[in-house]
Amino acid sequence: MDVMKAIMVAATGLRAQSSRMRVISENIANAHSTGVTPGGDPFQRKISTFRKEFDDELNANVVVAGRILKDQSAFELKYDPSHPAANAEGYIKLSNVNELIEMADMREAQRSYEANLNVITSSRTMISKTIDILKG
Amino acid sequence: MVANSMQVSQAYMNALNSVGGGAAKPQSMVETGADQGGFGDMVSDTVNQIVRAGQDADEKVVQQAVGKVDVVDVVTAVAETELAVQTLVSVRDRVISAYQDILRMPI
Repeated sequence: MDVMKAIMVAATGLRAQSSRMRVISENIANAHSTGVTPGGDPFQRKISTFRKEFDDELNANVVVAGRILKDQSAFELKYDPSHPAANAEGYIKLSNVNELIEMADMREAQRSYEANLNVITSSRTMISKTIDILKG
Repeated sequence: MVANSMQVSQAYMNALNSVGGGAAKPQSMVETGADQGGFGDMVSDTVNQIVRAGQDADEKVVQQAVGKVDVVDVVTAVAETELAVQTLVSVRDRVISAYQDILRMPI
């Protein structure tokens, strides 16, 4: 039944967005994580990716969370000679997480999740209303 | 499970056909039921399927409680079961009301 398949496909969307949300929360939680050794690298921002996959059982394209990549942009330097992670010149590397970008990503993940939820709700309503014809 | 309501409506059509065939040949109603699997078989098959779906949903709920399964899996399993049960109950109500209509028929 195609409407039931729609629910299954939307469920894969929910799973994918959940995984993205997890990555975003890792980024936000570690936004201020620095290195622990002198000159050591701080937390490197993670980027979640999605890819489509053909599901033979559903006979439809579903979305799955792909590999989690690392943001290769440069770390900002801050002068703080007393910090344990400061290098010989007294600079520490700050994480390349930008909280504003993470907030925007989070909102996007939230909206995508809601869109998939709406697909599930509408599909359920469609099936229920079809069954209701029998009760008439 | 996905094809459940389709199967139910198909079986309902078969049941209707067997009733229609029975009107032309009164003796054949029971035979049709025995040979092709009548309404009773269809109902018990569907109930079995729904029970299996219900058990699956139950299992998902338990696994979710211990943290093995995503809440999304629970929701889809429960929704599937619920819709299958709704379909079965509606078809049963409909068939019983048709049967009662026939019982009430003035002869």
